[in-house]
Amino acid sequence: MISKNVIKKIAHWILLSLIIIFIAIQFIRPDRSNISGQTLQTDISKTFNIPDSEFSILKNACYDCHSNNTNYPWYSNIQPVGWLLAQDIKNGKAQINFSEFGSLSRRRQISKLRGIENQIKDGTMPLPAYRLLHKQAQLTTEQKKLLINWFRETRDSISLNK
Amino acid sequence: MKNIFALIVLALIFTVSVAAQDSSDHKHMDMKNTHHDMKSMDKTQQEITRNIDPKTAASIKEIVGYYLQLKDALVNDKSKDAAAAGKEIIDAFEKLDKNFLSPEQKELYVEVEEDAKEMAEHIGDNAGNIEHQREHFDMLSADIYDLVKEFGGGQTLYKIYCSMYNDKKGAIWLSESKTIKNPYYGKKMLTCGTVEEEIK
Repeated sequence: MISKNVIKKIAHWILLSLIIIFIAIQFIRPDRSNISGQTLQTDISKTFNIPDSEFSILKNACYDCHSNNTNYPWYSNIQPVGWLLAQDIKNGKAQINFSEFGSLSRRRQISKLRGIENQIKDGTMPLPAYRLLHKQAQLTTEQKKLLINWFRETRDSISLNK
Repeated sequence: MKNIFALIVLALIFTVSVAAQDSSDHKHMDMKNTHHDMKSMDKTQQEITRNIDPKTAASIKEIVGYYLQLKDALVNDKSKDAAAAGKEIIDAFEKLDKNFLSPEQKELYVEVEEDAKEMAEHIGDNAGNIEHQREHFDMLSADIYDLVKEFGGGQTLYKIYCSMYNDKKGAIWLSESKTIKNPYYGKKMLTCGTVEEEIK
């Protein structure tokens, strides 16, 4: 039989080591350099006509992970949240980077516009975890409609079989 | 005390999952660069009229073959098979030797390849989510259509149009047969579609 005291001791040690690990990982800082501070000529807002209302939704809800300019929140300084964020930005930009949208071929722009429209529609974007923490990314039905329509109209305007 | 404990455990779980993700990111993509040493074939009529190198024609035929496999998987509502075919399409594109393309051919090919590979990747990564695979199949079909218009498909193909898909905006697919079997709806609406064009 293991006595209660021993169990208590073990629990204490486990807790203590977890706290130490938690403090230790704070020193492993992710890259927080996705701040170019400028709008490139290839930005989607320069490639197409986008009304301010649509553009502000896009900037607030999507640009953190899909552009060269991330607004880093305070808690991105706490690990492992900061790591997750860095990871999301890396993956997000690999899929779609609105800062460089204009440099894609027309064919790929059409595909991307279509994919974006679908993902807003089915709620896979913005990411659920991101929505939890960012009020601005919790899009209303109205905001979704605005974006979806703009993406669709833009895609139709550059359609290949014109 | 309990709360802090729970928080820390959560933080650790996160840490491990991020680390795991990271390491999988670093896994090197298997770039298969196999070169097919084909016996020199006689040029078919099609290769002469379009001025396509036999090696290119063979590679395109392979791409089309896997595309048709993908189409059949979607017709039969088989998401897993669709994913496998999607991965084959990527490999087939990478096998094509661009050195045998004329500058004009290359321009179109590179553009199509970039887009089609990305679509195929999404299809390959989404086993179990057939609707998502179908969305990308729509765009992939447009790419493959442009490809076979330029290079020929190595066999007679039919362009079939379904007006229902994509909020009634419509979508096309390519098939080796005139018999309509709809890959966008599978069993639900198997016979929706009209033959629009024959590509020789």
